Amino acid sequence: MHSRHSKLYALYMNKTTLTLLVLLALAIILALVVVDFMGDRPDKRGENPYEYNVDQFKVVDPGLVHYRETKNIPLGDRVPGGIDVFNEEIFLTGLNFVLVIHPDGLQKSSFLIDGKGECIKATEKNIIVGLKTAVLVYDHSGKLINSWEVENGRTIITSVAVKDDMLFVADAGNRRVLRYNLQGELQTEFQGKRDGNAGHGFIVPSANFEVVVNSFGELWVTNPGEHAVENYTDNGQLRGYWAKSSMEIEGFTGCCNPAEIAVLEDGSFVTSEKGLVRIKVYDASGKLISVVAPPEKFNEEGHAPEVSVGKSGQIYALDFDRNLIRLFEKQ
Amino acid sequence: MAEEKIIKRREFINTGVRFALGISLAGIGVAAARKATTEKWVWQIDPAKCTQCGRCATDCVKSPSAVKCIHAYEVCGYCDLCGGYFKPGVKKMETGGENHLCPTAAIQRKFIEEPYFEYVIIEELCIGCAKCVKGCSSFGNGSLHLQIRHDLCDNCNECAIARVCPSDAISRVPASQPYIIKGDFHGGSKA
Repeated sequence: MHSRHSKLYALYMNKTTLTLLVLLALAIILALVVVDFMGDRPDKRGENPYEYNVDQFKVVDPGLVHYRETKNIPLGDRVPGGIDVFNEEIFLTGLNFVLVIHPDGLQKSSFLIDGKGECIKATEKNIIVGLKTAVLVYDHSGKLINSWEVENGRTIITSVAVKDDMLFVADAGNRRVLRYNLQGELQTEFQGKRDGNAGHGFIVPSANFEVVVNSFGELWVTNPGEHAVENYTDNGQLRGYWAKSSMEIEGFTGCCNPAEIAVLEDGSFVTSEKGLVRIKVYDASGKLISVVAPPEKFNEEGHAPEVSVGKSGQIYALDFDRNLIRLFEKQ
Repeated sequence: MAEEKIIKRREFINTGVRFALGISLAGIGVAAARKATTEKWVWQIDPAKCTQCGRCATDCVKSPSAVKCIHAYEVCGYCDLCGGYFKPGVKKMETGGENHLCPTAAIQRKFIEEPYFEYVIIEELCIGCAKCVKGCSSFGNGSLHLQIRHDLCDNCNECAIARVCPSDAISRVPASQPYIIKGDFHGGSKA
């Protein structure tokens, strides 16, 4: 019996067996370390229960996309602020400049301005540029005709529109629309409030607040906090509105949409949204007609492109994130 | 001759020990002075790089995570419809728990004036999951963002979250400027 135990002990203590056991243990430890390391890599890990996936909201039915991108005009190191298309010429403003660009991308003319142009509107006679707190009126040769400050410590001018001799200025900082004549005299201002104390008027949670005049002479103003586009008389009386608040493609979502708008010849609207960036076309009553550019066309969580339209319905988008003017035409 | 050799060896050893001690003391002094005068470094999240993956909640060695949501009030639009507070597609914008996007109800909605609301982070409840940050960035002004709170962070040699961060958003920053807070509303133009 004793002899048997001794043999077993000898076997147990056999150097080779011991070495093998140690090697086996080391191999197991090494394998565990490798598995742990590989499994910990971001691309190898399982789903995170806390991840908020918003990809589902980016999906757009391809049947709704009726436009295709046909041209890009790169802006180099220029810092753009606003775009307008008039008589098939692109008017672009930004940090210290106004550019007039032919649709083929060639620069036709340019002139310097003092400050950053945030918005621009071209008419037959004038080029009107909105700075953060000032309005500049130029003729087409680049000569400054008139300029004035919009007096208020919180003013942030985001849009200008022209109807005859009336100049409408959207002031996002004060949630108001100002109406001047082209000589810079203030005619009236309004905050979109209903009669008496009813309603709270324009809700502008960020520097996205647009004013446009369509081909019928109607004044339309965005109310981004309400996901609405509102029609006003020239004196600021609400005539009508449409609103679409929804996570679906038919509506607007987030704090401040539509962030930018433009009007087509038939009175329908081109809308541009921030956050979940997309460009769409709505008819005059607010029914979605088509998607111009789905979110996949833009940078994630990007800025809303400023939009403007050409005579034949082509849509120009000023993409701030990629520093491009992007042209979309109907398919 | 032999005695002379022994004396020399002793002298040599004594001198060597003294020299080594001197060097060690000088080294300790230099190290201490350097530690006292050079900049300390701490871990921090760059909000511009963060993709709100949720790993800050699951991978920090602290429980709950030392990463907390920060609200840049000057960037916030005080929206009624806050994409960082409400779940997508809520039927009514009410403060009921079923409407909260935050899994721990760490955001408090305070009425200011019709129709504006202030959103306050209750840090004790925040686990740094970034759901609200994703909602705010995707649908709002991006005022909510994550930061490592240095009163909670252990400042590990190798940050466990930095190791798994898919966007390399976590790096060491000087302790004198320990936070990377988002910018202001008036600074940017069309946000």
